Amino acid sequence: MSMALFTKRLAKELSDLKINPPVGIEIEEAETFKSWKLNLDGVDGTLYAGERFALEFRFSPNYPMESPEVVFVGNIPIHPHIYSNGHICLNVLYNQWSPVLSVRSICLSIQSMLSSCTCKEPPPDNSHYIRTARSSPKLTQWSFHDDSV
Amino acid sequence: MKVKIKSWNSVAIWKWDVPNEEVCGICRVAFDGCCSTCKTPGDDCPLIWGECSHVFHMHCLLRWLATEGSRGQCPMDRKAWVTAK
Repeated sequence: MSMALFTKRLAKELSDLKINPPVGIEIEEAETFKSWKLNLDGVDGTLYAGERFALEFRFSPNYPMESPEVVFVGNIPIHPHIYSNGHICLNVLYNQWSPVLSVRSICLSIQSMLSSCTCKEPPPDNSHYIRTARSSPKLTQWSFHDDSV
Repeated sequence: MKVKIKSWNSVAIWKWDVPNEEVCGICRVAFDGCCSTCKTPGDDCPLIWGECSHVFHMHCLLRWLATEGSRGQCPMDRKAWVTAK
């Protein structure tokens, strides 16, 4: 039962991303409905201009009732809300997830989080976090206090 | 020419009162279609409106509200879901 929603919705999202890709966002790999890789280009005129990053989305069969697991892989952006293991501190990926959000809207949120950054520095607790975090960022007890960056 | 009507059949259609081509935000299927678990649109797969004015396939919304993560909130505005009367 849930499989139907999960696969039908991801198939729709995939064709929508292919037909009408957002600027600076490109599908690198989406062979299965288990995980997708998307390239995210830093926007011109921001601290990340000219840089290319990769996001990995991992879906459970409960998607979109449950958020996807989203991490940066490879070249990790230096950003106050992005840990050097690729985990992203962004409320819509965790307790503020809603089934009306999508791969597209999450990519755009992350792109805008990068674009509004004014100082390229890692999170203050980065070294502690990457030593203690489990592999999935969804297992972290996040606290969200700064919506401005 | 005189015509005498001996019998007649009527045909009617109905649609949900929502803007054309709008889709349910949860399953991304048109409101005139049905949720991913149903086969026939219409009374078997009704829509549900909230007091916040947001609308979904009822089955999609109920599945969301049944999750712990929903905390009983509308997927659009994250306010407590209250079904419109």
